[in-house]
Amino acid sequence: MSVSGYLTRQPVRIVGLIAVIAAAGVVVVWQDLGLARLLTLGYLDRSLRAATPIALVAIGGLFAEKSGVFNIGVEGFMIFGAVNGLAAASLVSGNGPVTQFDLWIGLFVAVLISALLTTLFAVLMIRYEADQIVAGLAVWFIGLGFGPFTAILIWGSRNSGTVGRIGSLDLPVLSGIPVLGPVLFGASPFILLTIAITIGAWVFLYRTRYGYWLQAAGENPEALDTAGIDVNRVRYAAVIFSGTMAGLAGAVLTLGVTGNFIGSGMTVVDGRGWIGIVAYLFGNYNPIGAFLAALLFGAMDMLQIQFQTIGVPLPSSLVDLFPYVVVIVVLTFYGSTRMPSRVGEPYESEE
Amino acid sequence: MSDADSGRARDALDGAADRLLGATPVERVALALASTVTALLIGLVVVTAAGYDPLMFVNDMLYGAFGTERRLTITLRETSYFILAGVAVAVAFRTGVFNIGVQGQFIVGMLATTMTILWLTPFLPANRLGGVGLLLVGTLGGVAAGGAYGALPGVLKAYADANEIITTIMLNFIAIGVVFFLVDGPFRGEGESATRTASIPEYAELPPVLLDGSDFSILGLVATVGIAVLIYVLLTRTRAGYDMVTSGHQESAAIYSGVDAKRTIVRTMTISGMVAGVLGALFIVMHANAMPNANGINTYGFDAIAVSLLAANHPLGVIPAGALFGGLDAGGQYINVASDVPPQLIDGIVGLVVLFVAAPELFRMAAKRTGLGGDRR
Amino acid sequence: MSRKGSRTVVSLDGITKRFGDIVANDEVDFTLEAGTVHALLGENGSGKTTLMSVLYGLYDQDDGRIVVEGEGREFTSPRDAIDAGIGMIHQHFQLVEPMTVLQNVVLGQEPVDRGLVDEEGARAEIEALCDRYEFDVDQYLDTPVRDLDIGVKQRVEIVKSLYRGAEILVFDEPTAVLTPQEVEGLFDLMDELTKQGRSIVFITHKLDEAMEIADEITVLRDGEAVDTVDGDGTSKEELARMMVGREVLFDRQARDRTTGERIFEVEGLHVRGDRGLEQVTDVDAWAREGEILGIAGVQGNGQSELVQALTGLRPVESGRIRFAGDDITETSRRDRIERGIVYVPEDRQREGLVLEYDLVRNALLGNQTVAPFVDGWFVDWAAVRDHARDIVEEYDVEPPEPTARSASLSGGNQQKFVVGREINHAPQVLVASHPTRGVDIGSVEFIHNRLLELRSNGVAIVFVSSKLEEIQKLSDRIAVLYEGRVVDTVDPDDVTDQELGLLMTGNTLDGSDESLERRSDVRGDT
Repeated sequence: MSVSGYLTRQPVRIVGLIAVIAAAGVVVVWQDLGLARLLTLGYLDRSLRAATPIALVAIGGLFAEKSGVFNIGVEGFMIFGAVNGLAAASLVSGNGPVTQFDLWIGLFVAVLISALLTTLFAVLMIRYEADQIVAGLAVWFIGLGFGPFTAILIWGSRNSGTVGRIGSLDLPVLSGIPVLGPVLFGASPFILLTIAITIGAWVFLYRTRYGYWLQAAGENPEALDTAGIDVNRVRYAAVIFSGTMAGLAGAVLTLGVTGNFIGSGMTVVDGRGWIGIVAYLFGNYNPIGAFLAALLFGAMDMLQIQFQTIGVPLPSSLVDLFPYVVVIVVLTFYGSTRMPSRVGEPYESEE
Repeated sequence: MSDADSGRARDALDGAADRLLGATPVERVALALASTVTALLIGLVVVTAAGYDPLMFVNDMLYGAFGTERRLTITLRETSYFILAGVAVAVAFRTGVFNIGVQGQFIVGMLATTMTILWLTPFLPANRLGGVGLLLVGTLGGVAAGGAYGALPGVLKAYADANEIITTIMLNFIAIGVVFFLVDGPFRGEGESATRTASIPEYAELPPVLLDGSDFSILGLVATVGIAVLIYVLLTRTRAGYDMVTSGHQESAAIYSGVDAKRTIVRTMTISGMVAGVLGALFIVMHANAMPNANGINTYGFDAIAVSLLAANHPLGVIPAGALFGGLDAGGQYINVASDVPPQLIDGIVGLVVLFVAAPELFRMAAKRTGLGGDRR
Repeated sequence: MSRKGSRTVVSLDGITKRFGDIVANDEVDFTLEAGTVHALLGENGSGKTTLMSVLYGLYDQDDGRIVVEGEGREFTSPRDAIDAGIGMIHQHFQLVEPMTVLQNVVLGQEPVDRGLVDEEGARAEIEALCDRYEFDVDQYLDTPVRDLDIGVKQRVEIVKSLYRGAEILVFDEPTAVLTPQEVEGLFDLMDELTKQGRSIVFITHKLDEAMEIADEITVLRDGEAVDTVDGDGTSKEELARMMVGREVLFDRQARDRTTGERIFEVEGLHVRGDRGLEQVTDVDAWAREGEILGIAGVQGNGQSELVQALTGLRPVESGRIRFAGDDITETSRRDRIERGIVYVPEDRQREGLVLEYDLVRNALLGNQTVAPFVDGWFVDWAAVRDHARDIVEEYDVEPPEPTARSASLSGGNQQKFVVGREINHAPQVLVASHPTRGVDIGSVEFIHNRLLELRSNGVAIVFVSSKLEEIQKLSDRIAVLYEGRVVDTVDPDDVTDQELGLLMTGNTLDGSDESLERRSDVRGDT
């Protein structure tokens, strides 16, 4: 689709986007923020790190919704991933210290368990045609219950305390590349992983036959059916992928970003699953768009730290709220404009 | 597994799903009780496995909930909160709107009540009568604020199709952040070193009346039960309530019958927010007496979702459900202090109860609301 | 022209297909000769789409054989039919709107090169195909389908089938969404296709088109094949008679001339449908007190949208709706209910009833502002319960227990309850959309009698039905709707079945050969 075609079709979004950028511009000038001081490499690095879990859950979620199933339970799946990753790592390390190897094992175990759990969920959604909103809420509640409970079983408390964090890469030649080198190749390996998954997802969706089928399943499942492809099989795959990605996102959060699990309140996941949903909506159901939107939210998340670093006197408790406000704005103005047409409707082949 | 076997397994699964679907109210109460008991039993198993004496645990829990007059008042106090919050959630869920934002609406109402009373204090006589005035106006303020904060996501959903689950979750965060900022800054009480407003005058607090205990007034419980009954009457006996509940079941039929769907959504969220506002007011005049740090307030609004689900979103059912949570909470507080069972374990058990109660009800709701051409989105 | 082919490419022998109690196809025989266009003509519900769906593998037949190119075949899915060289161009395009033409054409059959879709290869193939048949589709290969004209979209559908090597093409009501020029273009295309050896089945309810393009015409009626005639050797009257003609099974009662006031009228009404296209165009109609206005027409010609506009469930683009002299065009649904305009809805399970509710709670639906049931803020449930009981008794609803959950009632009983509830509203105007759909014969009679009773009590009734005999039996006047316009409003005593059939296909009764002119800016263009 051409850029000009896109622009002429989406006047409201373009206006909205320009308004947001203009507002941001006003704030920058008013507070004498000095973009050069604000947009540092360190800020980019922190934003990318913060963005990785959001981007991962967003890409998974968008695959599911594109295929016609709204997986609103991704927050719950993230919680499972978050706790299972660290729990597995702790268990594997036994009484000794937690090694990098243990942490990576934890990651794989978390992803595996997420895949299994999502399969059950997919059956409920597709075969039993459960109401997608309520079933998703159920998963969230289950996560909110099991997360801290698992934590108590493993660490004796809802909060795990510091367990360990997967360390930075330091790829010899690549990390020497000016500007982006240290960020992409010298820091958290998950940044690279996320970018790779984003590109892979984009290629899959727009360049492979399975991607075609996925898009058709959410827009016009009859067309796919009459073309001879099993619609529900496509949807199963998409939903399982979304839950697995959410689990990966949660594991990346605890194993790669925080190094610990918090089970109290909204848990360490703290709404990132919900933000991920809005991210892919904002990103127009496109993996690259979702990644960029996640980056934006990551940047918002880290804004408060950045402001502190460069000495901007805005109150931190308010700056912290930027991501949430942006979410509401996005939902209000961008909300359902580009949803796949047949989301939420179970599909039954005739006969 | 052969085809026949997998076919049979599938049939069994289908049969179970059907049973869950078609359960009568009596069966559902039984299911809720069974879930709760199961969760508690599992909790006991964990307690035992962790090396503590289960019988002592149960004993301590019961004592903690009912043992002395003081403990009873704590139970009743917590129960009041759970009931009110549960009613706020129930009214929304019943009518098809998923208000996850009761916590935010409650906190906003709480602040509004506090500030209204504080601002009005100089204008009213400093006696019981003035106190009653302050109390009433303060509550009105809380109700208005809670209602407005609830109406906002309602409007966004009705007119911009913004998913209310996500907007209310975000608004929770925003409420806590903004209220904290205000209380930490401009609204901070004079001379307060902690993040706290000034205290409301004593004569504006709700008096203990019958039981003498810790920050509890039987009037509060009465008011709570009264509101639950009021909402029940609203939903089952008024025309507005019929319109709301019908919208929740099948919006197309509601529209056919003349209901303005958009206005109904806003009305529902507003009422839900208003009840949350009452909770905020009650919390202040009965208990806290000043607006504390918003981050530290108990998550009644959130736990209330489980309360409501345990009650199958029935406003009267919320009363016993709230009592259960109130008892668990009070018992848990006692165990925290009096025994060496770690508080996390108790929280975990409560979490388990939430899980065992919420999940089946949610799955039942999910299974029920299918088909009908994607009425809900 | 007639091009009798030398061999039979498709033969359907004695196809029978049932859906529950309904027999959609009753031992239908159909043959298609090579290189010809064979039209399958019939009213809505006559079984034509079902027959072709069986051929295309969407349905399994209960009885009968499918023979393609001399071989007996069993199609379990469209894939099998596609493999056998059968392609279907559906009435509702099977296109994925946001995807490009190229992507849509290859969907399900994408050429793959090292894991990715081989776009270049596909492009070359499609362009070759387009050249061969002089399609213009290849210039749109990278355009998302949603940006395309309806005519182009249809050609994409055709290319889809050709790309899969279809020798036999089935067109399901292809001209429904086309302008007259586009229809000519389509017919030229069909000529080209048959010249190059393809065989075509053309499903339609439009007589003139069938006569224009088809070599052979098979008429279906009520699931049965009436006859197969030569495309050249027949006439419109003959076809209409075959399509619609039936024994007179009913008694049309003698009735008094209605002398009441015009109480319900619409003027110059324009209404848009769900997809933004205009579905009701410049409609004038009225009903008097004590009169039944029947709205006839093949389903999908704007009746639903018209009824929704009348009852306040859909906004009006332009035009006026008047009730008892008041302009009610902008009034809400509830306001209209309160004025006494009730509605028996088309979809009782979505609109007429809340399935989760028992009959008592459903009795209140629509009655929320009606006196004995609602007093101020409160509902008098005792009164509602009595009302429900009354309805159940009067309308013979089974089971006679008002506390039964509505979902457990049969379709017919649900409908009886809804009809009863609306009639018991003591309305001034009753709008009914397919009120006897899915209802057993005895109850149909009962409902008809109640409607006639209402009529003699001075109620104005507007009712839509696809059952021609029902319309003829009950109506004082019949307005025939075609493509959103009123073709004509006639007195049922003055028209024959054939004439009604002609009207329903858009032909006026003055004998002219032209179909009604369709304004191109209204239909079809995006």
